[in-house]
Amino acid sequence: MPNTPLHRYVVKVAGESGQGVNSVGEILAKSLKETGYQVFGYREYPSLIKGGYSCYQIDVSDQPMQSSSAECDLLMCLSRVSVHAYLKTLRPGGQLVHTLKALQFSPEEEQWINERQLKIEFVDAVQIAEDQGGKWIMANTVVIGILLKMLGLSESLVVRILEAEFAHKPDMLAVNKQCLTAGLNYQPNTLVPPQLAFTKLPEIDNYYLMTGNHAIALGAISAGVRAYYAYPMTPSSSILTYLAEWQHETGMLVKQVEDEISVAQMTIGSMFMGTRALCGTAGGGFDLMTESLSMAGMTETPWVCVIGQRPGPATGLPTWTSTGDLNLAVFGGHGEYARCVVAASDLESAYRLVGEAFNIAEKYQTAVLILTEKQIAESLFLTKGFPQPAPIERYLVPDSELSQLQANQRYEITESGISKRWVPGQSPVVFDANGDEHLPDGSLTEESATSAAMYDKRMRKQATMLAELPEPQYFGPEQPEWVIVTWGSVKNAAIDALELLKTSKPELKVGVLHYEYVYPVRTEQLLKLQSQVGDNLILMENNYTGQLGGLISQATGLQFKHRLLKYDGRPFFVEDVLNYLEETC
Amino acid sequence: MSENCSCSFHDYYSDNIYTWCTNCGNYGIHAAVKRALVAECCEPKDTLLCFDIGCNGNGSDKIGGYRYHGLHGRVIPVAVGAAIANRRVKVLAFGGDGGTLGEGINHLIHAVRGNYNMTFILHNNLNYGLTQGQASPTTKLEMKMNSSPDGVSSTPLHPARMILSLNPTFVARTFSGDINHMTEVIRRGVRHQGFSFIEIYQNCPTYNKATPHQWYQDRIYDVSTLPDYNARDLNRAREVAEDLENKIAVGVLYENPDEPEFLKRVANRQNATTELVDEVKPGSIESILNRFNQ
Repeated sequence: MPNTPLHRYVVKVAGESGQGVNSVGEILAKSLKETGYQVFGYREYPSLIKGGYSCYQIDVSDQPMQSSSAECDLLMCLSRVSVHAYLKTLRPGGQLVHTLKALQFSPEEEQWINERQLKIEFVDAVQIAEDQGGKWIMANTVVIGILLKMLGLSESLVVRILEAEFAHKPDMLAVNKQCLTAGLNYQPNTLVPPQLAFTKLPEIDNYYLMTGNHAIALGAISAGVRAYYAYPMTPSSSILTYLAEWQHETGMLVKQVEDEISVAQMTIGSMFMGTRALCGTAGGGFDLMTESLSMAGMTETPWVCVIGQRPGPATGLPTWTSTGDLNLAVFGGHGEYARCVVAASDLESAYRLVGEAFNIAEKYQTAVLILTEKQIAESLFLTKGFPQPAPIERYLVPDSELSQLQANQRYEITESGISKRWVPGQSPVVFDANGDEHLPDGSLTEESATSAAMYDKRMRKQATMLAELPEPQYFGPEQPEWVIVTWGSVKNAAIDALELLKTSKPELKVGVLHYEYVYPVRTEQLLKLQSQVGDNLILMENNYTGQLGGLISQATGLQFKHRLLKYDGRPFFVEDVLNYLEETC
Repeated sequence: MSENCSCSFHDYYSDNIYTWCTNCGNYGIHAAVKRALVAECCEPKDTLLCFDIGCNGNGSDKIGGYRYHGLHGRVIPVAVGAAIANRRVKVLAFGGDGGTLGEGINHLIHAVRGNYNMTFILHNNLNYGLTQGQASPTTKLEMKMNSSPDGVSSTPLHPARMILSLNPTFVARTFSGDINHMTEVIRRGVRHQGFSFIEIYQNCPTYNKATPHQWYQDRIYDVSTLPDYNARDLNRAREVAEDLENKIAVGVLYENPDEPEFLKRVANRQNATTELVDEVKPGSIESILNRFNQ
């Protein structure tokens, strides 16, 4: 166990699927935020509607955080199974509150409780709710009241939420308010309020609390996306939900389609016609899209797709997290063609990358795949707002040039590989966007020299892109002794760990090299850092094979001596990074 | 579209040389498509023709207009995506019986449900021609084909019966031996607001010797020759569509102009005065963002 102080207080609400754990967790996170604390919310849940066990964990601090701790201080359990599943995540001296009559622990659990000096409190929340004239599910409102009281939080936000939810049911509102008051008035037996000693943020109203999928959906609006097509698949489904929820404000066409093949084809069709359309899926859905990806490559049609990663193969762990689909994004689809793969890691990048992806897709007339992860898609992050989005750049032939166009300019062979692009309705000069090998006007050809020349032209776009896309981002000291090389949400745990080490182990000089533009992979900065730290490069990825490491090795021959790979469906917790650095550096 | 358009047959002409077999039904179909587009004043600039993979798809560079020649079985969704984005451009899609009823049959079914505003033309020649004469979903039972030397053992699909079961808004049939008839049917399909399904019985002189042009010529009749035929009567359409062996009904079997096309059914788009292609500009997120700071 690490002895580094985490400077966090961690609350975990756990129960069965269908018990409202997610709602309780979100309400609590919002109340903590409203009170002025930094929060990071993390969900674990099974792919079930009822049963199993799930939890909502909120890390609380006065420092920015983008990752979770492995252990918690306060565990609130609403079901028996969840007690047994999560008891061992309690830190020494932690407190378990549960709502279960006659809960029994195994001898091993008893021993654990004694050794760790855990405090345990039973709250008959169902009885309390019933005493107020409420139903069993209102035990959740009682539980929220108890947690608010214990953490010293104001109830105003919860009251507002209840008032909004039961605006048309005044009697239900009254009962729920009574349940909340009963929770707030609850007198504990063993429970000790934690006395959170965190400095409260001023101007908390300037901060936004949302998930990565919210940021992607907002990014789509800013990027001028006018159609979103998708087939539901965790962890990308909620992008569809959010955009559909907002469709009357945005006027965006949001369409659930019959399968991912249609999703990809419709998106490409809409882009070909000249609007901006986006689609989102997960690895399995993207498998179905790879033939269409290849079609976009050959017809040089811009195409942007969000791939939310979760562990495979097959259905794998559908509601858990992973970064195992980088190779799928980079190598998926038959044949060879230029493409770009970017990876979000937090709210800011999730929002910003959508607009950047469309600009790249339209500039290079190619597919841009935006990788995200369940850990980003569904976790609750705090942000102070978003950067100005990249200006929309279409790279279409301007009206002034339309009259001088020739059909053979559409796929004209150029040094950069990029040809002029225009769309139906724009010009009387028409062309064939041909999935068969073609001449510069799109007419079919199987002739040897022309086929090779057209192939060269398309592939040159990859080199053009490599020269123009950004290098990875470096965080850390100017003269590091160790450098963590990573991408995606792993960056967040690494940076959170480094922040803690600044005070607990200031002599340790560790930096993080974070790949947001993953493919084509740029390596100048990596090689520069390697010249400083030698073999002290640590590859950290949420997959088994170290897929970014593989791309880097392919490009440079570099082999990572130090690798921390995690593939159990869980994200990197801050302790994972701290423990590894403690053992390795 | 303007009534006094200057569009001519020549505008759809291509210098590229056809690569179809002599007597292939595709020649007549191309001629009819061009005639129908010109008659409906669809200028090449405002027309998108989408092609599936197969013999008909190899004609994508032998005709004018904007064209998209995509993947086998996937022509419908790419055309749907295009049609949704800009209704000022007429979208027609062409696919064979293999791609449409085999690999991509789900797309066809959902396109009928969606009533997307486009015309789909099914080239039904009862086999896979380009891959050299394998059985397709419409090949007749016991027919000996390249892939089934002992004869086809699966029950053939009846395309019109299937489509008519889906409450479509436009269903027509015609055959590649009659350019005038095809032209009239395609014109009506192009005019229809919604998903127009047109099945063309197509001659395949190389791989389908069983049902050449003469075979169809001897059996077809236009539904308009039936006394009191009403193309608004779905059950009547289902009755007349049944027979594919003796008396084969062609023409517009069913048409329902009252059902709104896809975008007219979508609550947040039905009153839009612009097309999706006109609207690409930074959207405001302020009002939505304000829900996340409390």
